[in-house]
Amino acid sequence: MTFDLLRILASKRAFRQALATRNIVEKLAMLDELRARTLTLRAAREAAHGSSLLREDPETYRLDTKSNPS
Amino acid sequence: MNIAEVIITINQMQVDGVIERYAIGGAVRATFHLEPVSTLDVDIFVIFRREPDSLLVSLQSIFNYLAAKGCQMEGEYAMISGWPVQFLPSTGPLVEEALAEAITVQVGETPARVFTAEHLAAIALQVGRAKDKARLLQFIEAGVLNSDRFQTIVSRHHLGEAWQRFARQFLTDTL
Repeated sequence: MTFDLLRILASKRAFRQALATRNIVEKLAMLDELRARTLTLRAAREAAHGSSLLREDPETYRLDTKSNPS
Repeated sequence: MNIAEVIITINQMQVDGVIERYAIGGAVRATFHLEPVSTLDVDIFVIFRREPDSLLVSLQSIFNYLAAKGCQMEGEYAMISGWPVQFLPSTGPLVEEALAEAITVQVGETPARVFTAEHLAAIALQVGRAKDKARLLQFIEAGVLNSDRFQTIVSRHHLGEAWQRFARQFLTDTL
């Protein structure tokens, strides 16, 4: 255990890199797990707070008409 | 819940002629290069087989095909192997080019068509939401992008200004 912020950040970076270099099959399985967890947490949060949470708009890939004239 | 099965289903849709070409985008595509981060859906960009007597692009043939295989539809999503999958038609030159230049990557025994990292980054720059900028920054920090290739795409699709703005905002310490 350390309270040295630079060491903590370096350790986090190393952990992220280690995850990034894992096999893609393994990483996709992690996405499956993460989604299951997120859904569980979301359901619990919504039960506690109702619909008062701030959320980003749903995904759209059609926003930038200036740089994408078609 | 199984993304690998989603990829198998999409490949089969291509074999069966429901879609002409596809490429995985979004967070699932980013996972090929970065650490996994939670995402709620799978983005599949597609070129449709156009109906001979119609000028309109329709998702109906995709939904019919999947419904026949027992998949449920929820809004604009098709539920495949427990994942909401969104089929996104090409909406402009950048996505069209990204689809044309998509690469095949093996996921175990299964081939998957995915955007190149540079195209995914350019699309993130173009879309420009907070999470897209965060992903672009992650790609840069992870050294995933071929800089020349990325800059060529940025320039070809008139994203130079957006790139300069992004660089000023996020890369000033490293430029």
